[in-house]
Amino acid sequence: MFKNYLKIAVRSISKNKTYSFINIGGLALGLTVAMLIGLWIHDEKTFNTNFKNHDHIAQVLVNKTNNGEIRTRFTLPYPLAAELRSVYAGDFKYVVMSSFPGDNVLSFKEKNQNQYGAYMEKDALRLFSFTMLKGNHNALNDPNAIVLSASAANALFGNEEPIGKTMRLNDNFVVTVKGVFEDLPTNANVFEPLAAFSESKKLDFIAPWDLYVSMYEWVKTARDRKLWDNNSYQVYVAVSNQSTIEAVSHKIKNTLYDHVPDETKRSNPEIFLHPMKDWHLKSSFKNGLSYGGAIQYVRMFGIIGVFVLLLACINFMNLSTARSQKRAKEVGIRKTVGSNKNQLIEQFLFESLLVTCCAFAIACTLVVLLLPLFNQLADKQILFPYANPLFWCIGLGLISVTSLLAGSYPALYLSSFRPVRVLKGTIQAGKSAVSFRKVLVVVQFIVSIILVSGTMVVNQQIQHSKNRPIGYNKNGLIMIEKTTEAFEGKYNVLREAFKKSGAVAEMAESSNPMTEVWNSNGGYDWEGKNPDFITNIVNFYVSHDYGKTVGWEVKFGRNFSRDLASDSTAYILNEAAVEYMGLQDPVDKTIRWYDGEHKVIGVVKNMLTESPFEPVKQAIYSINYNETNWINLKLSPEKSITQSLEKIETEFAIFAPSIPFEFQFVDNAFGHKFKAEERMRKLSGIFSVLAIFISCLGLFGLSTFMAERRTKEIGIRKVLGASIMSLFKMLSRDFVLLVLFSGLIAIPVAYYVMQQWLENYTYHISIPWWVFGVAILSVMFIALFTISYQAARAAIVNPVKSLRTQ
Amino acid sequence: MLLQLKNIFKWVNSGGQRIFLLKDVNLEVSEGEFISIMGPSGSGKSTLLNVIGMLDGFDEGEYHFLDESVHSLKEKHRSNLYKEYIGFVFQSYHLLDDLTVKENLEMPLLYKKYGSSERKAKVADMLDRFNIVGKKDLFPAQLSGGQQQLVGIARALISNPKLILADEPTGNLNSKQGEEIMELFKKLNDEGVTIIQVTHSEKNAAYGSRIINLLDGRMV
Repeated sequence: MFKNYLKIAVRSISKNKTYSFINIGGLALGLTVAMLIGLWIHDEKTFNTNFKNHDHIAQVLVNKTNNGEIRTRFTLPYPLAAELRSVYAGDFKYVVMSSFPGDNVLSFKEKNQNQYGAYMEKDALRLFSFTMLKGNHNALNDPNAIVLSASAANALFGNEEPIGKTMRLNDNFVVTVKGVFEDLPTNANVFEPLAAFSESKKLDFIAPWDLYVSMYEWVKTARDRKLWDNNSYQVYVAVSNQSTIEAVSHKIKNTLYDHVPDETKRSNPEIFLHPMKDWHLKSSFKNGLSYGGAIQYVRMFGIIGVFVLLLACINFMNLSTARSQKRAKEVGIRKTVGSNKNQLIEQFLFESLLVTCCAFAIACTLVVLLLPLFNQLADKQILFPYANPLFWCIGLGLISVTSLLAGSYPALYLSSFRPVRVLKGTIQAGKSAVSFRKVLVVVQFIVSIILVSGTMVVNQQIQHSKNRPIGYNKNGLIMIEKTTEAFEGKYNVLREAFKKSGAVAEMAESSNPMTEVWNSNGGYDWEGKNPDFITNIVNFYVSHDYGKTVGWEVKFGRNFSRDLASDSTAYILNEAAVEYMGLQDPVDKTIRWYDGEHKVIGVVKNMLTESPFEPVKQAIYSINYNETNWINLKLSPEKSITQSLEKIETEFAIFAPSIPFEFQFVDNAFGHKFKAEERMRKLSGIFSVLAIFISCLGLFGLSTFMAERRTKEIGIRKVLGASIMSLFKMLSRDFVLLVLFSGLIAIPVAYYVMQQWLENYTYHISIPWWVFGVAILSVMFIALFTISYQAARAAIVNPVKSLRTQ
Repeated sequence: MLLQLKNIFKWVNSGGQRIFLLKDVNLEVSEGEFISIMGPSGSGKSTLLNVIGMLDGFDEGEYHFLDESVHSLKEKHRSNLYKEYIGFVFQSYHLLDDLTVKENLEMPLLYKKYGSSERKAKVADMLDRFNIVGKKDLFPAQLSGGQQQLVGIARALISNPKLILADEPTGNLNSKQGEEIMELFKKLNDEGVTIIQVTHSEKNAAYGSRIINLLDGRMV
């Protein structure tokens, strides 16, 4: 029997090539999208689940209230870790203090490499339960040890045995490799996006905490003097097996408050534990509460995936029923020669299953082919889960559900035909079938219009933020991180050398890179300040030539000058700081800090150094050659970029022969800030195109059906003198109305959703109304184009023919 | 006796009026008969045939088929009955376009759950009997109308029905093909198959052993 079904199915598939192509292709496309999104969501959802103990690991964060606003930070004072360890010994299995991750120079023989890592206390390996390929979890006990990732070990030592090799760290310290851990999977990181300043990189090494202490004087000071108000460290914990993160989090919340000086107590610091499972998905905080992060995109794309699959299923149903006229005859014949209803249902479901299986196979192939592209787009390294039984189970489930969903309506509908009536040709799919189909098409167009207008809003928002004035000139500006001491005290020599080479127009140093803010301070005072106002101002320590190098715009007053010795204690404010402090005529005003009085010599326009979606923070620029971490170079406009870079590299090698020359274009670094949004734009753009395409397939089915249904009417109208144009209009009018109706429903939904999304950004557009007009018009145009084929065909056909077949 | 219709009425309500399709039809058919139903368009010929074939119901009266009372049977039982004993031949053949001649013939046997070898034997026998062995792998569209109707009849006969119902079997054929089909019916009837046909043509009706005339749903 199934052989017979199979035969009929295969023959009808191969006979109606266009129809089958649309039907199978549409479904395959829907399944492909659903699978890609599913894989992506799985990847996001399993972030960090590779760590054995992941449901017990957390990072300590702190909420501070300043002037009524709660901010969540991850920077903590040195003594906190020890305090937690001793006072709550029963609640924690491990408490580990860590430095901020960053690039460090690892050198072995002639090889110098920038590797990303951090300094951590000795329990770190146990806390994260790293898989040690070589050495064991005690490897960090030795203060001169280092633990490398497998790929870092390979990059440095090749095939040589790494254990026991001595190497240099940041050119100054000699360390011995004591362990090699397995590379972390791509969807895992021991640093929160919050803590890993820029984009998160892969962890290459961990060095012992004691080495960190001996490297930096200020760390040693913090340790020896037990500084409770110097926040420069992060703390990771693993709660004990009997406790939960929530319980411990509640228990420890006042630990910091109890120790900080009274001045700091005013900001009411409250610590809490941020569970590892939330590091990636729920990394954003608003008013002290976690409010989202990547999870928003996971949800959004999850909904889109379900919708696209739904659209494809709707189509499948739509197209199957559209051809019911033809299949009705078969049903009639089969019934008269002895089939009963169940056998017919069986047959149609079998056909649906067959088509779905074909579509699934095609979809799997497409997914395999598209994954590299998708990975690039989504910034992932997802592999096709050939060996994952769960995937195939879900696939099987998807096939059954889809084939049931798509096949049930035609199966039940067709099998209920009464044979006499179909064979006599008196059956006409009723009005209900048409309205059902209209509902399906309206749903599809609602989704399409929402996606199209959503994509346009995302695009507008990105453009809007990109066009925002940034307050400096990023053209030809590069920045180099000073990873070693090699440059200390050589500022003037270096600047002279660079300028002499002709490649560099100006050079300056700064504590912050151009695209980030690394430090801010409180405790400022000025005339007219409200004594209850708790200050927090971003600090930029810069060299004299900073303004000229980055091209900031001085609004009042003047730049720093080498000729005036007093400028070494002078402040330059940005506009936001002037507003923040409420200063009238800020130039020549005095600002007091704990190190003395500072005269304001100038005000510059706001420089956009953090998120392009947030307002620029109040900032103070002051001269300090000892606290700079970055070299900023303005390339000479007279030379080509490649020429300039070559020259710079040559000079660089003279000063720091053992440091790899690594630099960033400020332009690129700035562009990175839009990465998530750009990704969202690309993905939603692609999904919109797919949704429209799939909807058009459905529309094509509907128009075919309508044209077939109205063949007789069209014939009669033609005999009575209707022109082709008037018939075409008559056939298209319905669809235009459907699209308009979909638009009516889609606009408020899209408006609401996009407004919600924009709320994430302080600096955002208000949704322009033309977006919806354009979305509806473009969808309508595409829809008209799709149906015109069927409408024209029906209108042109000779009425003698159409009337005779009735 | 094969079947008996007693005071059969069938009507539809249209605009508050009752329109009778069949009105007090009484008919007895014995095995081996060859009956022709005649009458003008709309007189109820096809309706009567469908009622006999149990494809359509009726509103009043009694219908006995062999020893069963069709009017009191459940739908499922009724369809089992007609599957078992009745074969249908249509004016427009109604073969499945996607199946070959052989497969079209095989289909009723599939629904009756015959084994593979038995199906093959029966199909081969039927092909042989109707002299269409050479056409067994062709699709309906590749055959002439007469040949298609031949296949239609072969399909109706393949499960050995007691009764063949033919609704204008020659309506779509030219006169020569029509004659051949009628000759075939005659021959089948001689072999013992009961046949009821609906026809417009006096000439075709003459092949039958009895003629029933209908006018406005009433036997005259």
